[in-house]
Order: sequence, then C-alpha cells, then structure tokens
Amino acid sequence: MSSLIPLDNIGVEYKSHGQAPRKVLENLDLEIAAGEFISVCGQTGCGKSTMLRLILGAERPGTGRVLIEGRELPRPDRHRGYVPQKYSLFPNQTVLDNITFGPEMEEFGLWGRLLPRFRSRRKELRHDAMGYLRQMGLQDADAHKYPDQLSGGMKQRVAIAQALIMKPRILLMDEAFSALDPGTRAEMQRQVRHIWADTGTTILFVTHNISEALYLGSRVVVLGRDSPEGSSRVIFELNVPDSARNTSGYPLRDEMERLTRLIEGATDGGQREPETVELREV
Amino acid sequence: MLFRIDARPGRVATWTLSWILFAAGIVLYFHASGIRHADNPDDKVVPSLSQLGHGISDAFLKADADEQDSPDAANVSLARRFFNSMLWTDTVASAKRFGWSMLLLIPAVILGLHMGMFPLIGSFFLRFILFFDKIIALSVLPILFIAFGIDELSKIMLIVIGVTPTIILDTFNLTTGVPPEQIVKGFTLGANDFGVTYWIVLKQILPRVLNSIRLNLKAIMLFLFAGEMIASPDGLAFRIALLRRHMGMNVIIPCVLWVALLLYLVDLTMRVMNRRLHPWFREA
Ligand SMILES: Nc1ncnc2c1ncn2[C@@H]1O[C@H](COP(=O)(O)OP(=O)(O)OP(=O)(O)O)[C@@H](O)[C@H]1O
Ligand SMILES: [Mg+2]
Repeated sequence: MSSLIPLDNIGVEYKSHGQAPRKVLENLDLEIAAGEFISVCGQTGCGKSTMLRLILGAERPGTGRVLIEGRELPRPDRHRGYVPQKYSLFPNQTVLDNITFGPEMEEFGLWGRLLPRFRSRRKELRHDAMGYLRQMGLQDADAHKYPDQLSGGMKQRVAIAQALIMKPRILLMDEAFSALDPGTRAEMQRQVRHIWADTGTTILFVTHNISEALYLGSRVVVLGRDSPEGSSRVIFELNVPDSARNTSGYPLRDEMERLTRLIEGATDGGQREPETVELREV
Repeated sequence: MLFRIDARPGRVATWTLSWILFAAGIVLYFHASGIRHADNPDDKVVPSLSQLGHGISDAFLKADADEQDSPDAANVSLARRFFNSMLWTDTVASAKRFGWSMLLLIPAVILGLHMGMFPLIGSFFLRFILFFDKIIALSVLPILFIAFGIDELSKIMLIVIGVTPTIILDTFNLTTGVPPEQIVKGFTLGANDFGVTYWIVLKQILPRVLNSIRLNLKAIMLFLFAGEMIASPDGLAFRIALLRRHMGMNVIIPCVLWVALLLYLVDLTMRVMNRRLHPWFREA
C-alpha cells in the first residue's frame, strides 16, 4: 500500500502568555495509506484534534512535515473533508443551506449565485442534500431549522452530511458521534462504515471510545505521553484483523472485547500479549 | 413578586409597566408647571400645556420666519403647512447629514472585516486606527473648518472621525471572534478567501455589526449636533441653539422630544430589520 499521508517526525508547540511554550506533539510518525480507516484514540488533551488540524493544513507543524499525496498543502481544501469537534455548522444558515453550501460555493463561486441558472441548480442540489439528510437519519422537517434549534447529536449528523456531499478524498472526523445515544450511534457507525466501503474515502476518526475505534477502524492508533507534562506521540498501533469481523464487516463480540483489553492493557503500560494480531508498539 | 427572577409577566402587565415612567414624567412635569404658573402666570421656564400647544403649532406648522415666500397660513392644508414648517425643514437637513454618515459607515464595516480576516491588512491598519480612534473629534473641529470649509463636508467629516474608528474596531473584533473552525470548514467546502470572508464571516457578524451601529447612533447624533450648533444655517441642533437665545422653552422641549422620538424610531426600525433579516440571531 502506498502512503497517502506520511507524517514524519512531527512536533507541535503552543506558546501561551506567561507560560513556557508547551510541546503538545513530538516525534510523531504515522503513515496513512489510501483507503484506510484510521481510528485515533488517546486521553483528552493529548493532541488528537491538533493532529487532524495538521493533516487538514489548518495548522503547520513546528518540526517535521505533513505530506498529502507527496505534496505539502499549506491550507485546507475541498479534498479534505472536516467534521470538527464544535462550531461545525454555519449558524446563519438553515440545515439544508449548510449542506448545500459546499457544492454551491464550488460551482458558483463568489458571485455566481446571482446568475439565473443558480436557482434551478439549487433545486437539484437541495434534492441531493435531502438524500444525505435522510441517510443521516434526520427528518425532512429538520431541513429548514437553524443550527441552534437542533440538539447536539443532530448538529453532528448535519455536519457529517455537510462534509460528505463534497465527496472528499480524505475525511477527518473529530469525535463526531460523541453526542449521540447508543442506538443512533450504532446506526451512524454502520452508515460511516458503509460510506467508507462504498467510496474508498480515507478516513481519520477521532474517538475516546476504544470499542468504537475498533469497530470502525481498519487500524487503531493511540496517542499518548509518558508523563502528564510530556508531549504526545503514537504509543500504540493495531491493525484490526479481518478475523475480528464477520463477513459483512460487523465485529465479533469476543474478538472485540479481547482487543479492547489488549489496547487498554498496552496503553496503560501494563501487560500485553503480542500474538496473532498484527500489533506494532511504537 | 417584584424580585422574582422567574416572574413571567403577561402581555398586559408588560405593556402597562413599560408606560408607567412615561406617565409619571408627564404628571410631574405638569405639576411643576402648575406650581410655577400659580406664582407667575407668564412663566416661560416650565411652559404650561397651552404654551406648549402654541410652541408645538409654531414649530410644526409655521414656516421659518426668515423665509419670505412662505405660503399664507390661512389658505393651505395642514400637511402643506407641516412640510413647510421650520421643524420639518430642519429635520430634513439633519436627516440628510445623518444619512450620509450612515452610508460612510459601510466602508468602515468593510475595512474592519478585511482587517480581521487578512492579517497583513490588519497589521497595516490596526495601530493607525487605534491611534486615530483616540483623537477627540471635537478637538479637530477647527482644523476641519479650515480644511473643508464650514459647510456640509466638515460636518460629515466630524462624524466620520468621531464614529468610524469605533465601528471599524468593533467589526474587526467581531471578525476575529469567529471560531477558526468556521473558516477551516469554509475552505474544506471549496470556498476561497473571499468566499469565506463574505459568505461565511460577514454574514455571521452582520447582525452584531448592526447592533454595534445601533448603539453608536447616539454618538453619530452627538457629533452631528455639535457640528450643527457651531456652524450651520439649518438643522435641528441649529434650531435648538437659536431658540435658546429666545428662551423659547415651549418650542425647545417639543424639539428635544421630537429628536428623541426620531432616534428611537430609527433604532426600532433597525432592531426590527435585524430580527427580520437574521431570524437565526438570538440576542437582538
Ligand atoms: N491554539 C492553542 N493554543 C494553545 N494551546 C493549545 C491550542 N490548541 C490546543 N492546545 C493545547 O494542545 C493540547 C492538545 O489539544 P487538542 O485539542 O489537540 O487535544 P485533544 O486530544 O483533541 O483533546 P480532546 O479529546 O479533549 O478533544 C491541549 O493541552 C491544549 O491545551
Ligand atoms: Mg479534540
């Protein structure tokens, strides 16, 4: 597999007023292959969102390089979809307009919306958007609401639709399911797995939940640090073996539980059992 | 009941409560006027109802005394007389200046937006505007009169100097306050720099910008009045300054209230407009 996104010896440092600069990430190496589904875990504040922002190009590393398909991309673009942890929706637009914003912007640019052609095209785009909305399990009646009339979980699902409609090559999701109830969460997980399988999009999915990470990802990456003040790097990687899933991709419970214990054990510095699964501790 | 945070007054109660202070003000005024007039029936300082009535009809229906060809009061309609009255011509003169100043706030908003969005433009202007903001507009009035003459331009420049820095800086702050996620999101959705600036950021801050302008209406009027009082052949402030010499309290009071009412209506219009245009905005 060719490496779509190599992260090479990445370091990130934040300076805050009156405090010594703090290294958040250091010596972070990660190779992301095209078409992978990578789940990123790690304690709160360990730099998961920072890593996503680096891949997006929203932030530049202090040391090291982030390459996307062999090039350093200095700013976010339409090929890298983003579902941020918060502030994902435009508060001044309805749900439907939030979803169609991307395609409209791309096709019509800054002033193209003033063209007469725009109105008929917008109808089609809205139709597409409704499709995504339903796929995300939202009601037609929600389409004309404003974001602050939605619950947290609904917002997250709209944000996913907003990113998906662009059909990005790389999709970066930051705790996108954190506000969902278990039932909706399971349904959304299924949807995202389907989308991944259907489109071959490379996905990075940040989550606190190890079983979610295992269920979704073809690989689980754990960020962590040695001491509370230390900086984070990849401390554990695990390729989720096909043997952990049944033929339709659903996880086998026993296998998942075993892997969960494995990750929890290894990342606590406790006992680990390097065996049949492809396991590489970094 | 009064000091319950969770009180939920009904419509009638809210409406009634909101008028009590107005009623009290009117009652107190006429009480005071009555006392003074009992001592001296010709008192002009706190005019009685009939004096005020004369004052109001003078202000609202009589043309400026200086004007030669004003239509004869007897044989023209009330509306014609109103539109020829000194108060109306002064209102129009002041409103024109006010309108120009409001128009000049549009470039101020655009500048603040660009300063907030584009760091290089921000660095270029910010320090200068921060300094410019500290210039007391009234202190440069003599310079303005010398530079622009004493007619319209210098009065509008006074407002520009007094108010635009505030609006620029306010817009700048609002712009930089938009969460970076929104900007990143805009790029990932295929918008370019201007797409993000106008379609995402400007649209989001617009209701707050309008609020900021609303809160600065008074400053605009203050500078407008200062300009008019010092050098102007017409305008509401000119009229009030003129009347002061005649001790025409019975005209001054209606004038002052008229200005307040107009400004209140402008504010109300902007509030309603803000709510209509931005139904998603919650704090108007
Ligand atoms: N702009 C910033 N300025 C200063 N420090 C920052 C900035 N952004 C992040 N940090 C710091 O970097 C660290 C990592 O932040 P990040 O948001 O990447 O964590 P995270 O792993 O996503 O956490 P969570 O799981 O809570 O979302 C935190 O300690 C945070 O304080
Ligand atoms: Mg985070």
